[in-house]
Amino acid sequence: MHRKIKGAVSYTLTTLLLAFVGLLIIVPMIWIVLCAFRPQTEIIRYPPSYFPQTLTLENFINIGQKIKIWTYIRNSVIYCLGTTIPSVFLNALAGYAFARIDFKGKHFLFILVLATMMIPFQVIMVPLFLEVYKLGMYDTYAGLIIPNLAAAISVFMIRASFAGLPKELEEAGRLDGLSEFGIFARIMLPLIKPTIVTVIVLGINGAWNDLMWPLLVTTDTSMRTLTNGLAMFINGSNQHGPSFAGAVISIVPMFILYVFGQKYFVEGTATSGLKG
Amino acid sequence: MNRGLRSYWSKPSHAAYLFVAPVILLLLVFRLLPTLASFVCSFFDMNMFLEGRGFVGLDNFAEAFRDKRLWNSLLVTVKFALVEVPLQMVVGLALAALLTKNTVRNRLCRAVYFMPIVCSATAVAIMWRMFLHSNVGIMTYWLSQMGWQNVNFLNSVDITFYVIVFMSVWRSFGISTVIFVSAMQAVPGELYESAEMDGCSKLRQFFNITLPMIRENISFVLITRLIGSLQVFDLVFSTTSGGPNYSTETLVYYTYKRAFSEHRMGYGSAVSMFLFVLILLITVAFYAKLYREKDA
Repeated sequence: MHRKIKGAVSYTLTTLLLAFVGLLIIVPMIWIVLCAFRPQTEIIRYPPSYFPQTLTLENFINIGQKIKIWTYIRNSVIYCLGTTIPSVFLNALAGYAFARIDFKGKHFLFILVLATMMIPFQVIMVPLFLEVYKLGMYDTYAGLIIPNLAAAISVFMIRASFAGLPKELEEAGRLDGLSEFGIFARIMLPLIKPTIVTVIVLGINGAWNDLMWPLLVTTDTSMRTLTNGLAMFINGSNQHGPSFAGAVISIVPMFILYVFGQKYFVEGTATSGLKG
Repeated sequence: MNRGLRSYWSKPSHAAYLFVAPVILLLLVFRLLPTLASFVCSFFDMNMFLEGRGFVGLDNFAEAFRDKRLWNSLLVTVKFALVEVPLQMVVGLALAALLTKNTVRNRLCRAVYFMPIVCSATAVAIMWRMFLHSNVGIMTYWLSQMGWQNVNFLNSVDITFYVIVFMSVWRSFGISTVIFVSAMQAVPGELYESAEMDGCSKLRQFFNITLPMIRENISFVLITRLIGSLQVFDLVFSTTSGGPNYSTETLVYYTYKRAFSEHRMGYGSAVSMFLFVLILLITVAFYAKLYREKDA
């Protein structure tokens, strides 16, 4: 009996603690959404009121007039899809070769790939920028996308999944007269779909939230991504309302991605140690 | 001829080169080449059009060693890593220990704790800038109700640094929590059962069983978070721009300022060498330790 009470008390205390941490996450998020729908006058009123007295869309209209929000969103989508879809294909090809085929120099090349994983992006940002500039890719989608196509971490994750598949699969494909590429594309790739989805989901999220690279290689306002354009906007102005609307617009797509792809986010993080 | 070529590339051990070629090529051009170039750049004085005094030998480094703002940013960065990483790991470990079982409550909590990670640092900054606003922020208001008047979270030399630390932990403790939960779930249950029979308290089980069993995961998180925190930029850029009085100016932010605001590419490269050395030292120390443990 005594034990049962103790258990109930500790369960309650644990739940309270966990709920407190949860509130710490949720309250600022709800607050920003509530603020996004308030008129500017109400936002800067003191003392602050908890619930909006008037609901308005003026902040969303305002942000569209202050910055080229639709252009930014379009650029973000191009950056996200451009860096993930071709990228996952190339990285899967390499991951497949490293996992399933024996070839001369494989070990050396794989070490080379791993070594690039150790190079912090911030250390190479200056020369990488100069290179992209010299190649005439400054302020272009190519400059945003191409340097990010090959990702060692994706090769690494995909290789690990391919390595776990049974050997007989390729043999069967060869007997059917499939080319090496056919075996990869038609037999092997569909078998590691969860890993591919994980890489794509993490890639889209990473590109959407990326601030540094778009900041460096774009200068024209019509080339900015949403994350980058918003950061520039809040650094240059004191207009709270529109910036909340911008934040909400930037969070919602990732939130939807998270709701549907939570499993992939969590698995990808547990294996790759996503940077934050 | 065409046929011969075709049959040459159809051999798996030859086709493999075609498979890895794009990735290897891209990594060589956009990762390894810039790495080598960053050393070279640091000996030059130039802007983004490669104009300037040209080769200046060790001048950039001589200037760097005398540069008070650089040493300040180095100190801020190291301080940030030393405060943020342990905090995040302790929070992650404690929460993971409470959330190990796959109950409905625990799943819900894990899902909520992970939410900030999918948001951009810019959005997180906008959120907390409002929450902590010096005049109309709700947090400031609550504190003033409790008797602390005029707390200026975002613009005071002593507090703002810790606000950035807090925001960083807030944004990413879900990562360590998720990694530790999956590590703790892999610890065999029998260990806890026998400890339970010996009358071991939960707390002692955590320290004597859980922690030693997930040691490798702890080092993994430690090294990745440590390296990550030395590169902190986004939060600083969108929250404080390094201020007030350079108290939140990190090494990467300073590099960015020098290289991309003042267009001193060579000096920027020299400054980023400090980051490189810092990260290299940590990586080498980590692997040396790993190696020794494997040996023993």
